Amino acid sequence: MDLLLQLLANGLVNGTFYALSALGLTLVFGLMRVVNFAHGEMYVIGGLLGWALTGVVGLDFFTSLAVVVFGMGVAGWLIDRVLVSRVRDQDEEVGLLLMIGLSIFLANSALLVFGTTPRRVLSPFPTKPFFLGPVVVTQSRLFVVALCAALIVAAHLLIQKTALGQAMRATFQDAMAARLAGIRTEGIYGFTFGLGTALAGAAGTLLGSIYVAEPTNGGLISLKAFVVVILGGLGSFAGAITGGLILGVTEALWGGFVSTNSVDAIGFALVIVMLLVRPYGLFSKRGERP
Amino acid sequence: MLLRTILIGAASAMLISAAQAQAPTVKIGLIQPLTGSVADDGTADVNGEKLAVEERNTRGGVLGRQIELAIEDGQCKPAISVNAAEKLIQRDKVVALSGAFCSSATLAVMPVAENNKLPLITGVSSNPQLTEKGNHWFFRADENDALLAKAFAKILTQQMHLKKVAYVAVNDDFGRGAVDQFEKAMTELGATTAMKEYFEHGTTDFYTLLAKLKASGADGVFMATETQDGSIFVKQKAEFGLDLKVFGVGSWATDDFITLAGSASEGIYAAVPYAYTMTTPENKAFVETYKARYKGSPGEYSVAGYNVINILVDAIARAGSTEGEKIREALTKTDFVGPNGRFEFDGKGQAYGFSVVLVQITKGIPMVAASATIEP
Repeated sequence: MDLLLQLLANGLVNGTFYALSALGLTLVFGLMRVVNFAHGEMYVIGGLLGWALTGVVGLDFFTSLAVVVFGMGVAGWLIDRVLVSRVRDQDEEVGLLLMIGLSIFLANSALLVFGTTPRRVLSPFPTKPFFLGPVVVTQSRLFVVALCAALIVAAHLLIQKTALGQAMRATFQDAMAARLAGIRTEGIYGFTFGLGTALAGAAGTLLGSIYVAEPTNGGLISLKAFVVVILGGLGSFAGAITGGLILGVTEALWGGFVSTNSVDAIGFALVIVMLLVRPYGLFSKRGERP
Repeated sequence: MLLRTILIGAASAMLISAAQAQAPTVKIGLIQPLTGSVADDGTADVNGEKLAVEERNTRGGVLGRQIELAIEDGQCKPAISVNAAEKLIQRDKVVALSGAFCSSATLAVMPVAENNKLPLITGVSSNPQLTEKGNHWFFRADENDALLAKAFAKILTQQMHLKKVAYVAVNDDFGRGAVDQFEKAMTELGATTAMKEYFEHGTTDFYTLLAKLKASGADGVFMATETQDGSIFVKQKAEFGLDLKVFGVGSWATDDFITLAGSASEGIYAAVPYAYTMTTPENKAFVETYKARYKGSPGEYSVAGYNVINILVDAIARAGSTEGEKIREALTKTDFVGPNGRFEFDGKGQAYGFSVVLVQITKGIPMVAASATIEP
C-alpha cells in the first residue's frame, strides 16, 4: 500500500513536470501547426542557460529564470521571423525538415558551447526529504509543481482572456479572416513561437534544478512532449495537464509493478491507443480547426 | 700543441656523442584514441606512457639505446586502429605495440600483431573474450570484467557484509554485462538478489526505482552506470531519505560525478581498478612524479600506460634483443611491481597479482576503503 501511494505521488509530480515540458509544444505544434522537433533542444538550452546564470554568473534563481524566459522568447521570435516565416505557406514537409535541421543545429551548438558534461541549475529550495505519511517528496519538487501550475494558469488566461490571446486564436483559426479583421498575423506568429520557446526554456531551467540539463537529452524530451500533446489534444492547456498526468502516473505504476526498463514504451502505447480511440486527443474539439 | 690536443679531444668527444645520438632508438608503437569521445582517456594513457619512457631514458634506456614512442591516433575504431598498427610496423619499424584502448579496436589489432610476430599489450581493454582468443602475441596488463567482479564480490560479501543485494544498471551491454558478472560472483558467495532493474540512458527520474528499492528490503545496491545517470540516482536517493550502501562501477568517483552529485556523493563506494590515493610506496612515488610532470592527479588510464611501457621495457631488457619472438618469450616471464601492485601473466596473457580497490568518497575525495588482488 505504501508502495502504491508513493508511486502515485511520484507519478503525479512527474506528470506535472511532463505537462510543464509540453506547454511550449502545445502552443507551437498545437496552435501554429509547426511540428517543432527542436522543442527538446530549446528546453535543454533553457536549462543550460539557467545553469550558466546561476552557477557561473552567480545570479539568483528567480532573476535567472526571468532572464531565460526573456532571452528564449526573443530567440524564438527571431527563429520565427528568420526561418519559420519563410516556410509558413509551403507544404508541411518543408517545415518538418526545417525543424529537424534546427534541432540538430541547436543540439550540436549546445555541445560545442557547453561540452558534454551534464549541468545542474542551482535552486534555493532544499532537497531534504519531506514526509506526507509514508510518502516522500521534497520541497524543491513541490515548489516546481506549484510554479508549473502557475505558469499553466497564466498561459491559459493569456490565451483565453486577453485581446492578444483573442487575436492569437483568430489567427490560428483562419489567418485570412484575421488579416481582414485587421490583425497583424505575422506579429502574432512571431509572438506565439516566442512564447512557446520561452515556455520550453522556463521548463528547462525549472526542471534543470531538479534533474540535470545536458545537450544530448533533447530528443527524449521532445518525444515525451509529443506524447503529452497528442494525448491531451492539440493546443489545449487542460489537455497538456491531463496528458502529462496520465503519462506520469502510468509510467510510475508500470515501472513500479512491472519493470522499469520498458517504461519508455508506455507513452507510445498510450498514443497508439489514443489515436485509435480518440484521434483528436482528450480535449480537442473537432470543429475548432479547419 | 696543447691547443691541437684540446681540439682533437673536443672533436672526438663531439664525434662520440654524435655516434651515441645516432645509435638507433628502440621504438615502441602506441595506438590510442586521441580524438573522439574517449580522447581524454586516451591522452591520459599516453601521458602515463611518456612518463615511463622519460624515466627509463634518464636511467639509460634499454640495451644501451634510448626508447622512443611512435604514437598513432586509433580513435578507438577497429579499422583505423588496424591501419595505425600497419603503419607503425611497416614504416616506423616498432618492436612492440601498445593499445588500442577500446576492446573492439584491440580485438582488430590482435591478428595484425600475430601476423607480423610482434607483441601487443593493452593496459585498458577489459572484455574477457580478448584473452580467450588463443593469440600468444597478446598480453593484457589490466583486470577484465569477470576478474573485477570476482575480486569485488569478495570485498562486498566478506568485508561489507552484504546479504540482500539490489542490482540497478543502465540498459546496455555494459550495464547488463556488469550485473550478470557481479550477480553471479555475489550469489556464489552467498548473497541473495533482492531486485534487478535496468533503466534507459538519459533517465531523469528515479523515484519509481527508489520506491521499489525501498520496498525490496535490500541492504545494499550495486550499480553499473555512467556519470550523469549515476549522479542523479544518488542525489535522488538522498532526497528520498533512503539509507543504503551504494556500490558503483563505471564512471563513479570521478571529479564530474562528485561535482554533480554534490553532498549526496558522500559515502558512496566505487569499485575502480586504480585510485591515486592508494598507499603503496610505488604509487606515492608515481603520483608525485606524475603531478610534477602534468599538474594533475593520475587516473586509471595514466597508470595503465605507465605499467605497459615498464612491462615492455623490462621484457626487452630480459630478452637482450628487439626481436619479436624473444620479447614475447620474455613477456611471459614478467614480474613487475607497479603503482597498483605486482604483475605476472598467466598462460593466456592475462595479468594477475595486482590490486583493484574499493574507494569511498569522503569529503569529495575517493579514499581507499578496501583492496583486493586479482587472482589467476
